[in-house]
Amino acid sequence: MSETTDLSISNLTVKFGGLTALDDVFLDVAPNTIVGLIGPNGAGKTTIFNSISGLVTPTSGEISIHGKKMKWPASHQLAEFGISRTLQGVGLFSGLSVVENVMMGANITSGSNFLKDLFGASGKAEAKLRRRALDALAWAGALDMAEKMPGDLTYPQTKRVSIARALISQPKILLLDEPAAGLGQDDIDKFAALLKQLKQRCAIIIVEHHVDFIGAISDQVYVLNFGKVISSGTFDHVKRDPAVLAAYLGTSTQTGSEKLGGGHA
Amino acid sequence: MNTFLAALFSGTSRGAIFALVALGLVIVWRGAGIVNFAQMGQAMFSTYIASTLITNGSSYWVGFVVALLSGAALGSILDVLVMRPLSNKKKTELLGSESMRAAVPVLASLGILGALQALAGIIWAAEERGFPAPAKQEGFTVAGNAMPFTAFDVFVIGSVAVTLILTTLFFKKTSMGLAMRATALNQEVAKLSGIRTNRTRTLSWAISGASSSLAGLLLTPSSNLSPNTLDLALLIGFTAAVVGGLDSPAGAVLGGFILGMVISFVTFYDTPEDVFLAILVVLLLALIVRPRGILGSKDARRV
Repeated sequence: MSETTDLSISNLTVKFGGLTALDDVFLDVAPNTIVGLIGPNGAGKTTIFNSISGLVTPTSGEISIHGKKMKWPASHQLAEFGISRTLQGVGLFSGLSVVENVMMGANITSGSNFLKDLFGASGKAEAKLRRRALDALAWAGALDMAEKMPGDLTYPQTKRVSIARALISQPKILLLDEPAAGLGQDDIDKFAALLKQLKQRCAIIIVEHHVDFIGAISDQVYVLNFGKVISSGTFDHVKRDPAVLAAYLGTSTQTGSEKLGGGHA
Repeated sequence: MNTFLAALFSGTSRGAIFALVALGLVIVWRGAGIVNFAQMGQAMFSTYIASTLITNGSSYWVGFVVALLSGAALGSILDVLVMRPLSNKKKTELLGSESMRAAVPVLASLGILGALQALAGIIWAAEERGFPAPAKQEGFTVAGNAMPFTAFDVFVIGSVAVTLILTTLFFKKTSMGLAMRATALNQEVAKLSGIRTNRTRTLSWAISGASSSLAGLLLTPSSNLSPNTLDLALLIGFTAAVVGGLDSPAGAVLGGFILGMVISFVTFYDTPEDVFLAILVVLLLALIVRPRGILGSKDARRV
């Protein structure tokens, strides 16, 4: 199994004091696929991301990255392992220009050699980095915003910038935290097209409330409730799973299935 | 006219030094979220090291460079040994509120100041000693008239200008500088972007330590050197940083020059005894009229 996955998690349990946020969670992400994580608020979706990205220390559980079993990574190691993450609410630096924000995604201080970073901090390296950032912005369709400040952008534009920032490090695994939140249907469609293109380059894991959006783009869907994976598989499979219907609607009725297929949950 | 020129020149030269002090405070405030009251104690300590070297026969420039390096080293050591453990959330979680927790490192910096001054007194004795200047402190003479501007003033303004240009280039034109600006804005996102924020923090302590050591080297030729000589400079530098905006390096420099001018004009046109009063008035005015400082951003915390 682990030879064919970019990222594999098993038996992940996270406890905050007496509260169990994640309970024996598993997740397998194959290369060049989009994996969607859905579930009600508080189901533990973002906690999975936080565990992968070193913001939360798992109580127990194993992680393999690119088929190699390893310790849970620290935040500053993510780029080293080819993992890139966007944040809920975008998380751009308000005091840096758009292009500088994108440059920040490039793992600019590799962490392995501080002194080399410090004295190699030349204008030349910076100019090269700036060019890469402009390339990433161009790919995300946001080149004309390069010199603006994040505060001057519309919300959908900031989403494009955060994608460019995630891409500049050329990640193998991209974690997107609620990328469609706050977008109108038009922008969601454009965004879905962008992600399908992006899949050629890397595996993508998406946490999202917008069920239609997940259904349209995901190869695999995991449904969480109360910190447990209650169903997984293709979207068509999970949306018919009685456990999922019960979690979303409290009962498993046919009308429920229609609602789940057509609603924004 | 002559008095005016003298006040103007002296204000520029002093202002340049206060700009350095204020800049040091701003860099640590942005990089670590701490008002470092020990800063000029650190500068005093590295100036003593330079003084010891010079009185034992080293050239001024050896002392100069060693002072800057030891200023950077002392800043880094204080961050790693004292400030980093104190800022650790897990170790300070017994303290009730967030603001209490934020106050701990600031109080610690006051403790460090006391410790450094006591230590300097033990090592070098507490009496004043002179400190050499690398250039003449008598005014230039033009056509037989002594001008109110000395070669040392030129050196002061020149070295501060070089420091300011280098600092600006570092923050604006290098990746490490970008990493430090980003860390100051949002530590969590910076971490997720692969920045080792512990290291950028320590680096801001080192830069601040070196720049305030330079301020110490430039102040002591006219004030002499004792464990407490630089206390006043901290007070003025802090006021300058508040006036200019505690989170704005450019504001710190501006504030430094404003304070330099105010002090110089009060000294020349009024009496040196009113300097303290003038500093206090400027501080009060700034806090009433524009509490975030001239170039400070809106959401800066007030201290």
